[in-house]
Amino acid sequence: MHEASIAASLIEIVIDTAEKNKAEKVTKVFVKIGRLAAIEIDSLEFAYDAIKEEYEIIKDSEIIIEDVPITGKCQKCGVTDTYEEMFFACGACGAFEVELLTGEELTITEIEVD
Amino acid sequence: MGMVDVKAKILEKNYSKAAVLRDKFKNTCVLNFVSSPGSGKTSILEKVLVMFKDKYKLAVVEGDQQTTNDADRIEATGVTAYQVNTGRACHLEATDVEKAMAELGYDLDLLIIENVGNLVCPSQFDLGEDAKVIVLSTTEGDDKPIKYPVMFRVGSSFIINKTDLLPYVEFDVDKCIGYAKGVNPELEVFQASCKTGEGLEEIAAYIEGMIAKKKNA
Repeated sequence: MHEASIAASLIEIVIDTAEKNKAEKVTKVFVKIGRLAAIEIDSLEFAYDAIKEEYEIIKDSEIIIEDVPITGKCQKCGVTDTYEEMFFACGACGAFEVELLTGEELTITEIEVD
Repeated sequence: MGMVDVKAKILEKNYSKAAVLRDKFKNTCVLNFVSSPGSGKTSILEKVLVMFKDKYKLAVVEGDQQTTNDADRIEATGVTAYQVNTGRACHLEATDVEKAMAELGYDLDLLIIENVGNLVCPSQFDLGEDAKVIVLSTTEGDDKPIKYPVMFRVGSSFIINKTDLLPYVEFDVDKCIGYAKGVNPELEVFQASCKTGEGLEEIAAYIEGMIAKKKNA
């Protein structure tokens, strides 16, 4: 359960960005969470909503999370695939040398402000 | 109403603190030991560190929610230890290591960080280490690497501990290694028992190799 620390770090960045841009209110916060980032999306939403109450500037904001799938490119046969399981054997040739393309994101992309 | 571009890592602050630490650790090999609770991390350290403690300047940072039990165990072997109690937190953050280093000082050849027992959360928090060493015991089930793949993905080496119990538990070593390599083909694998002593010299040699690699880097 480290989603609370993640939410706290996220909120720090949101408030900092909003203040630097002289925004009065933050309405939406867009984040990308890869399936490999070890984040439970429901827990992150819960933690965000709990902590935001303490700050006037983000109190009415909504967190919008993009759940990014795991995709990778096999270094042996070159096939690009989506991985449901986190066991990275290439679905086409079976090789383990799969270079990850997406799935490790733990980023804030933009915020909507008033 | 307007959009503001941010494009930042959510854990940016932890990364930048870890980067400062990494800079200060330029002559210190730092290994971050991670596992579920009870896998035997402290036991391995008790047995292995004494093999070379007189050759190097070394210290251990112990992370637990409560008690100084682990630091006391390490200190009893004659190795300096510093206990961090995380309270409610399930992982160590770079700032915890920074505080520990203020006490221990950076003049070290080797720093071992024994993280809070947890195979999920510590995977996301960079502590400025050179490598994450994952410990898994044979009582835990051989499919742990695919149940907790994120940690196995970011680890550098993997110790299967308590091999003395293999006759009594359903644990297929080859299957476990196969799963681990499927998640991370680069993992260096060790098999160890603190009861019989199996594999402990290999782990000591691995750590000494890491110290030498850091010195020559």
